[in-house]
Amino acid sequence: MNADATTPREPVLAISSRTVVFGAVGAALYAVLGLFSFLIPGTQAVAVRPAFALVPFFGKRFGVIAGFFTGLVGNMIIDLLTGSGLTYWNWSIANGLVGAIAGLIFAYMPPIANEAVRLIVTALGALLATALGLLFVITDIWVQGIDFNTFLTLNYGPALLSNAIAVVILTPALDALWEPLSKRTGR
Amino acid sequence: MDVTPRYLGAGSFLSRRDPRLLLLVPVLYLVAVAGIDDLRGVLLCAAAAVVYYRAAGIPWRGVRANWAVMLAFTTVLVVVNSILTSVDTRSAGDAEVLFTVPVTHSAVTWTTLSYAATIFLRYTTLAMVGFPVAFNIAPSDLGVAFARLGLSQRLAYGVDLTFRFLPSTWASLQETVDAQRLRGYEHSRSRNPVKRLITLGPVVLPVTVNALIDAEDTVNAMDLRGFGGRHRTWMRELAFDRVDYLVLAGFAVMAAAMVTAKFLGLTETVWVP
Repeated sequence: MNADATTPREPVLAISSRTVVFGAVGAALYAVLGLFSFLIPGTQAVAVRPAFALVPFFGKRFGVIAGFFTGLVGNMIIDLLTGSGLTYWNWSIANGLVGAIAGLIFAYMPPIANEAVRLIVTALGALLATALGLLFVITDIWVQGIDFNTFLTLNYGPALLSNAIAVVILTPALDALWEPLSKRTGR
Repeated sequence: MDVTPRYLGAGSFLSRRDPRLLLLVPVLYLVAVAGIDDLRGVLLCAAAAVVYYRAAGIPWRGVRANWAVMLAFTTVLVVVNSILTSVDTRSAGDAEVLFTVPVTHSAVTWTTLSYAATIFLRYTTLAMVGFPVAFNIAPSDLGVAFARLGLSQRLAYGVDLTFRFLPSTWASLQETVDAQRLRGYEHSRSRNPVKRLITLGPVVLPVTVNALIDAEDTVNAMDLRGFGGRHRTWMRELAFDRVDYLVLAGFAVMAAAMVTAKFLGLTETVWVP
């Protein structure tokens, strides 16, 4: 197995045709698949959005810019399609940050040869990126005038819980599937 | 749901405007209404939002589903957070209690209701100024509009590309769902979220991988055409005219006035009739 599959070959913040196209594909996928979500029974409004797993995946595989673009533009399109417009602009930035942080984490992570370990590390890295990126919704304290407890119990906590379920299951699955294909294309 | 970008406001006042104006107005409006607790202040801004939305000429039948989703979500959010519970509310110590919510024991006063109305109006009018972004900008104009607003030319092209990919991604999703159904795939009705997520794999994974494989061809095509050169030109020329400047100035003045009022403490108290 080529353990260098995710080693960055260009500057972390470079914007190449590859970054642009994969960022755009990621945003389109996130926008389309992100329309599907389901509520966790027993909670008030905690919805799992399976497509969220794409955001750290694109960050890991295609870099910081592509990850940020996937989360930011994808979430903005979902909001536009559902009618929320730019009301929750800070949540879109938070989504983008998840992708960007995932890109940063995996760009500087040493290669892992063992596949099982790589998948576990992918899940943990995606989870860490989600936890850090979503912290940006603390801006709701100023944007919506809520207090810290509300931010923690009604905004950040439920969002982290629902998105964590998606990234822990689907991000490693996507990564495992893309690994042989990426080697085939020589990228 | 149809995810294909829909250009619904053709021929309207806003569709004849520079697309950059339609991107800047929601930002200015957001600055104007953010953090305002006084219903009268938001009502003033709402009047401008209604006029702006009317100028978009978006047919009702084209967006009623979007409005239904938006209004339902906002209503639930406001009623639950600001009336049924005290998660996001304002209260006055000596205000007359109209009634107490049974289970949560939340005391509802005129202050509570006025604040809830303010929040509801804020979200609804933000949607009003946001709809023209979705339905009055021709999808092919988005890239150049972002580029002329100072976004990196390459990322602006990325926005353009995203909207071009939406219809094909949606078609690919439907084809994959149909193909998997022929193979016996059934979406899980389980209440267990983990099980439901796992059963989504046969749909999410092939759609994603197919899109990524196709993307390699697009990357090669763009590289062969020299994408990323120092100076990129766009077929569409954008230029603000006098009307654009007037509309923009109007919203800028409104944003500046509301921010000033906020700093002077004129809009931080909930208005009770």
